[in-house]
Amino acid sequence: MAMNPTVEHAAEIERPAPRSGVRSAIVDFCRRRTLGALGAAVIVLMLTVATFAEFLAPYDPVANNFGAMLSAPSRGHWLGTDSFGRDVLSRLIYGSRTALMVGFGASVLGATLGAILGVGGAYFAGKIDLVLQRIMDIFLSFPLIILALALVAILGNTIPNLIIAIMIPMIPRCALVIRSSALSIREMPYVDAARAAGFSHARIIMRHMLPNVMAPYLIMLTAFLGQAILLEASLSFLGLGVQEPLAAWGLMLRGAAVEFAETAPWLAIFPGLAISLAVFAFNLFGDSLRDALDPRLRTQ
Amino acid sequence: MWKYLLKRSLLMIPTLLGVAVVIFFLIRIIPGDVVELRMSGDTGSVSEEILKSERARFGLDKPVWQQFVTWIAGVARLDFGTSMWTGAPIWDEIKLRFALSMQVAVMATLIAVSLAIPLGVIAALKQDSWIDYAVRIFSIAGLATPSFWLGIVFILSLLIIFKWLPPMVYTPFWVDPWQNIQQLIWPALAVGYRYSAVATRMTRSAMLEVLREDYIRTARAKGLWQKLVLWRHALKNAMLPVMTVVGIEFAFLLGGLVVTEQVFNLNGLGLLFVQAVAHRDYTLIQALVMLVAGFTILVNFAMDVMYGWLDPRIRYR
Repeated sequence: MAMNPTVEHAAEIERPAPRSGVRSAIVDFCRRRTLGALGAAVIVLMLTVATFAEFLAPYDPVANNFGAMLSAPSRGHWLGTDSFGRDVLSRLIYGSRTALMVGFGASVLGATLGAILGVGGAYFAGKIDLVLQRIMDIFLSFPLIILALALVAILGNTIPNLIIAIMIPMIPRCALVIRSSALSIREMPYVDAARAAGFSHARIIMRHMLPNVMAPYLIMLTAFLGQAILLEASLSFLGLGVQEPLAAWGLMLRGAAVEFAETAPWLAIFPGLAISLAVFAFNLFGDSLRDALDPRLRTQ
Repeated sequence: MWKYLLKRSLLMIPTLLGVAVVIFFLIRIIPGDVVELRMSGDTGSVSEEILKSERARFGLDKPVWQQFVTWIAGVARLDFGTSMWTGAPIWDEIKLRFALSMQVAVMATLIAVSLAIPLGVIAALKQDSWIDYAVRIFSIAGLATPSFWLGIVFILSLLIIFKWLPPMVYTPFWVDPWQNIQQLIWPALAVGYRYSAVATRMTRSAMLEVLREDYIRTARAKGLWQKLVLWRHALKNAMLPVMTVVGIEFAFLLGGLVVTEQVFNLNGLGLLFVQAVAHRDYTLIQALVMLVAGFTILVNFAMDVMYGWLDPRIRYR
């Protein structure tokens, strides 16, 4: 169910400059930023795999097969099987679904809420801004994973709860960046004009200010995507994220992968490669997007 | 300057207090408490009465705000109380593991800095060459590789290639330095790679910015030795943002160690935290979070002050 909006969103990211023609913008992006295009290609591939997991996976990802426990990669099982005889490739394919759902869910929500808070703080200024800033400071003092860990313990470990737990620590990080660019937008004549025309605060924020912080917003969003996937994998690895028998990359590295490291190294290698490749692709794409949209933010 | 220092250090107090409030109330929303978990471990089910008396022993029967006041009064005197799970004083629990986590963190920082600065400088100097691309790919890969997986890969390769495993029992550095390094170098490398990636990217972009400044052109134009321009003029000015990133990452390293310590079976602060959450050991979670958050806030403060000290253009009000 959550797949549709994510696909739409990926399409949105790929068009940073809709005014100059979508197709020419994409072609231009591919030519000038080869690495970014490479990242985008991997992302598209992952989205396809996640969407059509039912058709692509050779086996049922949760079906135990005690006749074929810990079998090495072979023609029947390309990437081998785990200690329950489950096909590693099928679990990887279904795991991409978990990773992308949590990744997109947490980063889109976190960046959007952060953007609204950042713009809101900059717009209202004064006391509201000060209070918001202090609250953000408090949440910024927690390491990402420690806050997410505590939140997951409170909420329980279903996928929607994981999304919330990962999203919350991201909000202040996004709000901080967006606020600084919104501060200059607030001084623009068109914001004054909107205020003079008697528009409501909500309308000015949503319709006039938010669209103008699109560049930092998209940059933060792509940066969060990789982080969210990593965080989900870490939580699942600690046993606090997605639960068995659901397929998730971090979970696949837990327990058996370390226990049977010597006899069945494929258990430890492939899920880690999948995580790294996914995050790598998002980072490559995000980096190029940042260079294309706003060279000043390179240092972020 | 002194006025600024005072004002800035006073501002740390509300933030710390905020952290205390957030963590104190947050963990009390987690379903189940330490008494239930501890008691049900032995016999399966316990009577309400025992639970009640145990809760009273920890003061968990009092109103929450009263518990908070008692706790915060202790924190103000740096007294975190005793662990609800083991009964040992919190400071003893932390002291046991602090040296190990700190050593891994320091080693990771050394690895990160000694990788990041040369790599970042070279990448910036040879911008858009193949070296730059290689460094960028290396650092983006560092951001993408989960440190716990890197740890597993290290163990795996040592085992398969060298038929050797790092020692499993922790030996303090002053007892047997060689044994100690053999064990801790691997987690330090696993965490250090990601850390170095962050620092490399920052070094590169800071250098790129500085190299475009007028004073670099002037220094070159007057025929200064290229190396001197680099070290004395460029690197010195590019170091400020790099130091900030290194400082902040160091403060957050405890968070990074949460997962890595699990892989290497290291009895450090990260493992302690995961256990504390599993046991609902309120006092221990609170103490650890306050420690990490306090450290982060202190690092930020130190960075702010250092900016003013190193960069005279920044004036404090």
